[in-house]
Amino acid sequence: MSVGLKEEEETDAQVTWEDQRNINMFSKLNIRLESIEEQYEAKKNEKEYLDDLTVELELADEDEPVKYRIGDAYVSLSLSDAQGRIESEQAQLTQELESFSNRINGIKTEMAKLKALLYGKFGKSINLEKD
Amino acid sequence: MMEVEGNPRGIPAAPFVDDVAKFVPDGDYEGTLRKFQEMISKYRFMETHLLQRKAGLESKAPEIKKTLEMVLFLKSKEDSDEPIATEFELSDTLWARASIPPTKTVNLWLGANVMLEYTLDEASELLSTKLKSALTTLEQVNEDLEFLKEQITTVEVNMARVYNDDVRRRRLEKDAGGSSA
Repeated sequence: MSVGLKEEEETDAQVTWEDQRNINMFSKLNIRLESIEEQYEAKKNEKEYLDDLTVELELADEDEPVKYRIGDAYVSLSLSDAQGRIESEQAQLTQELESFSNRINGIKTEMAKLKALLYGKFGKSINLEKD
Repeated sequence: MMEVEGNPRGIPAAPFVDDVAKFVPDGDYEGTLRKFQEMISKYRFMETHLLQRKAGLESKAPEIKKTLEMVLFLKSKEDSDEPIATEFELSDTLWARASIPPTKTVNLWLGANVMLEYTLDEASELLSTKLKSALTTLEQVNEDLEFLKEQITTVEVNMARVYNDDVRRRRLEKDAGGSSA
């Protein structure tokens, strides 16, 4: 993605400090968006693993302890304890995912606003699209 | 030219070119462009440094989190009568069984060949504090990286504008020369 003025068109639009700040903001939000989307994907995967695990554990033998990884070691837990831990982890992840997706939406709205503003002023002399 | 102060960690802000003609001293377009290029190199240098720090912190935080998780688990079993059955890693491919009686203290590795015994509460407090400070630092590093990016964008736009102005000026000169001949 390149944010910047292209030389070919000779628009006489002057770049004001205000414009520059908008351009910077746009570029900053773009990077922030990428980073949050990456984290969101990672958390989503984790959540999916846990969901699979929940289904898997429903079939497990109740008297058989589960080896659960805590830190760097495996600990033998009763099935219900293990399920409890997974549940609380899932709840935590769901919350995190929600906060991530809220932030993603906020950034996207903000970027759309800036985009309209900048294209409105600079037209073809600016490129705000992903490569 | 408009000056802004640097950011909280003292990274200087890039100058903004208000009026290109005034910004280029004695029509030295090349020199001005070179100066901008230098600025970008400096910002890029800082960026590389910060990215390394970021990577370090990003691996440190989960490490602390893992330890904290275990401490909290031990804490939850503190008053139980049954020992905790575990498998732990002796080496990369070798695991052993251990049965850990409920404990009220743990030894934390502090670095520099020092290990210290803490009560579970103290250990969890220490680890929480460390985790929090790692996350705060990480946030600051991210802020700095964003700030750097903004400065780089500013300078890039400056360069494009100075360059465009140069092209425009040359064309005008050429047109003027052509008509007088």
